[in-house]
Amino acid sequence: MDAAHHLISGFAVILTPANLYYCLLGSLVGTLVGVLPGIGPLAALSLLLPVTFNIPATSAMVMLSAIFYGAMYGGSTTSILVNIPGEAASVVTCLDGYQMAKAGRAGAALGIAAFGSFIAGTLSTIGLNLFSPVLVTAALSFGPPEYFALMTLGFVVTMFMVGGSTLKAILMIALGIFVSTVGMDVVNGVERFTFGAVNLTGGFDLVAVIMGTFGVSEILMNIERLARGEVVRGKIRGLFPTRREWRDSALPILRGSGLGFALGILPGGGPVTASFVSYAVERKISRHPEKFGTGVIEGVAGPEAANNAAVAGAMIPMLSLGLPSNAVTALLLGALIIHGVQPGPLLMTQHPDIFWGVIASMYLGNVILLVLNLPLIGIWVQFLRIPYRILFPLILLLAVVGTYAANLNIFDVWVMIGFGVGGYLLVKLGYELGPFILALVLGPMFEQTLRQSLIMSSQSVLIFVTRPITAAILALCAAVAVLFLRAEWMKKRESP
Amino acid sequence: MKTIPRLVAALVILLALAGAAAAQGDAKGKLQALKPKDYPTQPIEFVVVYPAGGGMDVTARLLAKYVEKYIDQRVIVANRTGGAGLIGHTYLATQARNDGYTVGILVNPFWAEDELVRAKGKWTIKDMTPLGFINYDPLTWVVTTDGALKDKSVKDIVALAKDKPGTVKIAIAPDGAFQFLAEAVEAATGAKLVKVPFQGGAPGITALVGNHVDIATGFLAEYRGHLDAGKVRPVAVAGQERSVFLPQIPTFNEGLGVKDIVWTAWRFAAVPKGVPDDRLRYLEAAIDTAMHDRELVEEYRKLGVIAGTQYLKGKETADEIDRFHQAHKEFLTKTGRIGR
Repeated sequence: MDAAHHLISGFAVILTPANLYYCLLGSLVGTLVGVLPGIGPLAALSLLLPVTFNIPATSAMVMLSAIFYGAMYGGSTTSILVNIPGEAASVVTCLDGYQMAKAGRAGAALGIAAFGSFIAGTLSTIGLNLFSPVLVTAALSFGPPEYFALMTLGFVVTMFMVGGSTLKAILMIALGIFVSTVGMDVVNGVERFTFGAVNLTGGFDLVAVIMGTFGVSEILMNIERLARGEVVRGKIRGLFPTRREWRDSALPILRGSGLGFALGILPGGGPVTASFVSYAVERKISRHPEKFGTGVIEGVAGPEAANNAAVAGAMIPMLSLGLPSNAVTALLLGALIIHGVQPGPLLMTQHPDIFWGVIASMYLGNVILLVLNLPLIGIWVQFLRIPYRILFPLILLLAVVGTYAANLNIFDVWVMIGFGVGGYLLVKLGYELGPFILALVLGPMFEQTLRQSLIMSSQSVLIFVTRPITAAILALCAAVAVLFLRAEWMKKRESP
Repeated sequence: MKTIPRLVAALVILLALAGAAAAQGDAKGKLQALKPKDYPTQPIEFVVVYPAGGGMDVTARLLAKYVEKYIDQRVIVANRTGGAGLIGHTYLATQARNDGYTVGILVNPFWAEDELVRAKGKWTIKDMTPLGFINYDPLTWVVTTDGALKDKSVKDIVALAKDKPGTVKIAIAPDGAFQFLAEAVEAATGAKLVKVPFQGGAPGITALVGNHVDIATGFLAEYRGHLDAGKVRPVAVAGQERSVFLPQIPTFNEGLGVKDIVWTAWRFAAVPKGVPDDRLRYLEAAIDTAMHDRELVEEYRKLGVIAGTQYLKGKETADEIDRFHQAHKEFLTKTGRIGR
C-alpha cells in the first residue's frame, strides 16, 4: 500500500513536462550512444554530467538513468546490423543477432531485442521498486564499520569479476584509491600529495578525471581503429516477433531478467557481465547448443534481457545505500553529490522526489524506448554513417567545454587531458578502467569509514569482528577470495 | 548541444524581465540616485567558491535574483570551486578585477580560516572590501529521540562526557566550525568527546539517526526532515541569540553558562579592494536594498537560514569580519593549529 502510494507520488514527479522531456531526451541520447560504437553509456554519462549542473537534481538523475538503460536498447541495433557491438553489454548479441540479420531475419532479431529489453526492464524495475525500500530500512543499522565492510566486499568482488588479470585489477583499485587521496585528508584536513599547489588542495576534480579516463581515452581508442563494418542493407521488416519466436524467447527473457537483476545488484557486476552469463546459461541448457552462433533467437533474447535487468539491479545499492556497484552507478552517485544531494539510506525519506521519481521514470522510460525505437530504427542506422572524423572532434570539444564550465578552472581541462592519455595507455597495456573509477569514487569513503570505525573503537580493530553485520560481510569477502583463488589455481593446474 | 552559458543567459533574461515587471518604484528610485553614469554596463558576476546547489550557492542565487530586480542589469552566479574553497578565495583576493563587475559571496569562518591557515601569506582578508552582511546560520547539536541522550540537556551531556571521558561520540566535520564548536565546548567545560569525522553535516546526521554516534552537529536544513518526523531533537544552538526557528532551544552560552561559544556560517558580499568609490557605494546600496526586500528574507527563511534580523552595511560588516578574524586567530593559536 505504502509502496504503491510512493510510486504514485513518483509518477506525479515524472509526469511534468520538464521531467518527461528529460526522460525522453535521456532515452534518445542513450539509444544514440548505444547505437554508436565506441561511445558507451559510461563515456556519455561522463561527458554529459556537466550539462546537468543547471537543471534540478531529479531531472538530472532521470535523464542520466535514462541514458544508462537507453544505451542497452541501442547497443543491440549495431550488434545485429553491423556485427560491431554498439556498447560492451551487446558484444554477445553480435554472435547470433548478426547471423540472423544475414539470414534476412534482422527484423525479428531487432524486435525480440527490444521486446526482451522492455520486459526485462519492466520486471527488474518492479524488483527495484519493491526491494529498495526494504534495504533502506535495514540500512540505518549500517554504521561506519558496516560500510567499510561493504566496500571491502565491493573491491574483492571487483578484483575477480572484471575478467583478465586479478593482479591488474588490484593495481587499478590501488591506483584509484591513491588518486583519491590527493588533496585534503578526510579526517584531519592535512594536505597530501599536493606539493603546495593550490589547484590540488581539493584533490583532482572528479568530473575532470572521469571525463578524461572514460571520455577522452575512448575517443583516442576509436581514432586508432577507424575500421567499420558494413551495415546490413535492405528493408527491415517483421519487427513484431511471430508466435513461434515468442515461444522460443519467453523463457530466455525471463531467465535473463532474473540473472541480470541479481548480477546488477552484486558489486562489480553490471550489464556487461550479465549479458555474457546469460548467453552462457542459455547455451548450456539449450536442447541444441550447437546451433548457438548461427542465428538462434534465444542468443539474442537472453543477453538483451539480462543487460537491461542489470541496470535496474545496479540502481538498488546506489539508491538505497549510496554505494555504487559499478562504474556507471558510481557516476550517477557523483551526479547526486554534485547536485548537493547526500546519497545514502536517507535519500528515500529526505529526497523522495528523486528516489521515487527515478524509479517511476524507469517504468516510463522503458515504454518510451519500446515505442520510439522500433519505428526509428531507420534513423539510428543513419547515425552509423556519420564519419568519425566529424563525430569525435565534436565530442572532444564538448568534453573540454563541459570540464571547464564545471569549475571555471582551466587546470581541470589539463587534468582531463592528462587522465585521458593515461587511461588510453592503461587500456593499451591491458588494464580495465572500471575498477579504477570505482576505487576513485569509493576511495575517500573507504578511508573515512575505516578511520571513523577506529576512532569509535579507540583504535581497536576488534570493532570489525564484534559487530555481527560487519563480521558477516568480511567473512563473505574472505570466502569469495578463497573461492576465486581456488578456481584460478585449478585452471592453472589444468593447463600448465 | 545546449551550452551552459546560454541556458544561464536565458534564465537570467527571464528573471530580469520578471523583476522589471514588479518594479519596486520607491527603493529603486533611491538606488537610481546613486548610480554612476558608466556603471554597470555589463552583467555583474557573483562568485561562489563552493559547488552549485549548496547553501552558499543558493544564498548567492537568491541575492542575485533580488539585486537584479533593482539595478536593471543582469547578475550572474559563477561557481569557482575546488580546493574546498581555497581556489576561489585565492582567485578573488589576487586575480579578480576590481572594476565592480566581480563580487565575492563569502562565508565566515571559512574565509578567515583560509587566510589564517592555508593562504600562506599569498593574500589576506584585507584584499577584499566588504559590501554587506547577507544571512547567517548557527550550528546546532542534535541527539536522537530514542538514543542514550534522548532526554538530556546540553549541560547533562557535557557533565556525562566529563565524568566518563571517551563515552560520548559526536559527529563532526574535520577542521571547520563543526570541530571548532566541539573543541570550544571541551575547552570551556573540561569534557572529553570522541570526535568522529564525517564529510559535512548530512552524513553525520545519518549516522546519528542509526544511533552510531550520540550527538551530531549540523545546520537546520540538514536535519529539518528528521526534526519534523520527531526522530531528532536539537539540544543547543551556537548562535549569539536563540534561533527564530527554534525559540525553545537554548544557546550554548545559555545552556552552559559561558559567553563566547558562537559558531555560525556568517555570509556576506565583498569586492576585490580598489573598486572605484562610486561603484562601491552603488553596489553596497543595491545589496542593502535587496536585503530589505521582504520576499528575499522570506525565501531565506524557507531555506532555514536567518536573514532580516539585522542589516549591516559595508563598514559594519568589515568591523564584524575583523572582530571574528582576531577571535579566530586566537582560537587557532590556542588549539595549536597555527604558530604564534
